[in-house]
Amino acid sequence: MADIDPAEGKAIAATADRGTSSSASLLQWARNEVRIIAPIITLIFLVVFFSLATTSFFSSRNVLNILEQSSLLVILATGVTMVLLVGQIDLSFANQATLIGVILTMITGAGYSPWVSIPVCLLLGSVIGLTNGFFTAYRGVPAFMTTLAMLQITDGWAIYMTGGRPLFTVPPILDFLGNRKTGPIPNVVMMGLLVAAIAHFVLTYTRLGRYIYMVGGSPEAARVSGVNVKLINCVVFVICGFTAALYGLLATGRLSSAQPGTYASVMVDGLAGVVLGGTSLFGGVGGMLYTIIGSIIYVVLSNGLNMMAIDIYIKTLATGIVLLFAVVFNVYLQQLARER
Amino acid sequence: MVESGRDSGSLVELRGVSKRFGGTVALEDIQFDVRRGEVHGLVGENGAGKSTLMRILSGIYTSYEGECLLGGQVIHLAGPADARHHGIGMVHQELSVIELLSVAENVFLGRQPLNRYGIVDWASMRARAHEYLNELGIDVPVNARLGTLPFGIRQMVEIAKVVFSGADIVILDEPTSALSHHETRRLFSLIRTLRDKGKSIVFISHLLDDVIEICDRITAFRNGRNVGTVEKGACDKRLLIEMMIGTDKHIKTVEQDAAVSLPPRSTAPVRLKVANLSRRGQFENVSFEVHAGEAVGLYGLMGAGHAAIGTCLFGLDPVDSGEIFIDGQKIKLSSPIRAKAAGIAYTPEDRRRSLVQTAEIFKNVTLPHLKRVLGPRMDWLIKSKRETEVAQQQIAELRIKADSPRRQVDTLSGGNQQKVVLGKWLCFPPKVMVLSEPTRGIDVAAKADIVEHVAQMKDKGLAIVVISNEPETIMAMSDRILAFSKGRVVAELADTVVTKASTMEII
Repeated sequence: MADIDPAEGKAIAATADRGTSSSASLLQWARNEVRIIAPIITLIFLVVFFSLATTSFFSSRNVLNILEQSSLLVILATGVTMVLLVGQIDLSFANQATLIGVILTMITGAGYSPWVSIPVCLLLGSVIGLTNGFFTAYRGVPAFMTTLAMLQITDGWAIYMTGGRPLFTVPPILDFLGNRKTGPIPNVVMMGLLVAAIAHFVLTYTRLGRYIYMVGGSPEAARVSGVNVKLINCVVFVICGFTAALYGLLATGRLSSAQPGTYASVMVDGLAGVVLGGTSLFGGVGGMLYTIIGSIIYVVLSNGLNMMAIDIYIKTLATGIVLLFAVVFNVYLQQLARER
Repeated sequence: MVESGRDSGSLVELRGVSKRFGGTVALEDIQFDVRRGEVHGLVGENGAGKSTLMRILSGIYTSYEGECLLGGQVIHLAGPADARHHGIGMVHQELSVIELLSVAENVFLGRQPLNRYGIVDWASMRARAHEYLNELGIDVPVNARLGTLPFGIRQMVEIAKVVFSGADIVILDEPTSALSHHETRRLFSLIRTLRDKGKSIVFISHLLDDVIEICDRITAFRNGRNVGTVEKGACDKRLLIEMMIGTDKHIKTVEQDAAVSLPPRSTAPVRLKVANLSRRGQFENVSFEVHAGEAVGLYGLMGAGHAAIGTCLFGLDPVDSGEIFIDGQKIKLSSPIRAKAAGIAYTPEDRRRSLVQTAEIFKNVTLPHLKRVLGPRMDWLIKSKRETEVAQQQIAELRIKADSPRRQVDTLSGGNQQKVVLGKWLCFPPKVMVLSEPTRGIDVAAKADIVEHVAQMKDKGLAIVVISNEPETIMAMSDRILAFSKGRVVAELADTVVTKASTMEII
């Protein structure tokens, strides 16, 4: 270095600097946006993999099927997204959906029109969510326990009312929304897009949405800013109850029947859809765009594994492992964000 | 020095010990020794190096320059467990006893006597614990669950436990700051008992009266250096304060201990009136008034109760009794939401917890008054342009070093974060502003900016309450000073000239 002219040395250093800084800034960008980049890459990878590994995956029929299932899952995952965004958890939404399906068929069976049964069901879902929210936010019971108890209550309620038997009195409007198309687009996809759009709007462009992110980001900071943290915590459970009920109605319409225990496994689907998308398990980061991608990933994964005609038990095992990786990655991202 | 009749050999000795953190020197060339059977006081301001020394002695910091001798042998402690093994015990301000266990279980923690079946021998454990505590003059039921006993007793049990587990030297960190007068007396008698049994005590405290009373020798630290050790009887409070803050000739005295003259009592109307406010275990019967355009400083040492007044005024913690009035109107202190509506703003001492670190500046700034920022029409709809304008105004007024209101808060320095915390409340100025430790841990320039802003708030007629453990902070911002000790107001300074030394002397 001693014989290099200082000015020249500086120039060399500057060039080297520029070279590293542009790649470094790309890296920095990727690092900052990894939460959304990773799910997108995962999705692309899965689609390419299943297209090559199976013959029927990319058929128009199957793609439509994936879209329909994803849309339904997005509706269920909307409320879950909000609950996770404030840093809480809900374990009861799947059983709530089952219960709502059962109650719908019973009200319909008693001769009431869908103009009565559907609003009653949506209201009931919200009230169940409110119960979760009340005990969690205003009585300080950990959400894990409140909603675990609610899981059991809703499950037991559904079994008690039906005696475990399936019910088939589903109003035609739900068959229309769940199974029919308007033009080339399945109605359930429209419903999914509508719910996702509204939820995205609420989260991004309303005061409520801002409070949800800020409370999730730091409940303490929100509290010392005079934000009604308890109310926000309670509201997300109400939303979650509402979307669970909506899911219960549409899914019942799709199956044309309701039966206790039908959607118990859906609890994993709903949480997986949110977490695979990259919404933080610790609150404050994430949103509907993430959840849409995450839901599609989850549906593609289970659909693709079905197409590969492997043992059904292997399929559950495989999705479990994928989910574990996703959760580990989610926690890793949180640590990364904290280090910055 | 006068031979006291006890063995005067050094039990622990530090020779030329220095400790650096990166470029900062925390300790420089420290000579320090503790004799067998003495109570050695350690005083100094925050950041003088007391905690660093303590952490070296208790094995938490294992890398340092210089030598540490124990009983004349050079040792190098490998960790806290090794320090305990060498007979060095530590009792922190936050006790490490287990409140759910009984007194006896705590004393024997980790070394419960077992019977021949390998099961805990309860009878023997209780009997021995009882005997042992009696010997130390601690009168307490050994079966009582520790959590049900008062703090002073829990502390003595912890000290007993540390000694029982083999400590010859016990380091006490701020042991008396949370004790009542009576409890302090009881602790002192325990310390004397231990001393007479040949144990050595290192007594670290800000409460100089206590230090002078109990210690045989006192060492003062300043800026990481040992400024001298004095014998009991050869020192008074003023001398210790001078050693700690450096009014000696070698330091620029003007800067170190400038006199501040407090103005005459304000004649403006009373904005905030606090009447007989009490919260169990925190403060008792506190009453004061703050006039419009006046700043009142609540000064005290850690645990004196003045910080809890801030959290109670903002409704974060409940009070047991007492009332507060704003502009003559009684306010219910039940939640921050109500406090905010009544016109009280509060900035907590912990900046990190009062900002959403992962969110942008503007989202933090508008958070307390989001509805007003977005309103009056369609106040539920986010209007980011309006929000960033509001935030930009605060960035400009408070001179926050940030290129954009969209910058994430966690990328800002401490001083700039503190300004964001202020900015949160200043976009719609409150009637009463409560600032808890507003300048802790921030750089000089940011400090000056904040002091200037407090002056501007006063000009706007706000009533300001400044809460701090640091006399400099209090003196820089206050028109009137209320000194707190053990949950009570012990003095009010108004219309007089104060110096740092004189302020420190009253508590």
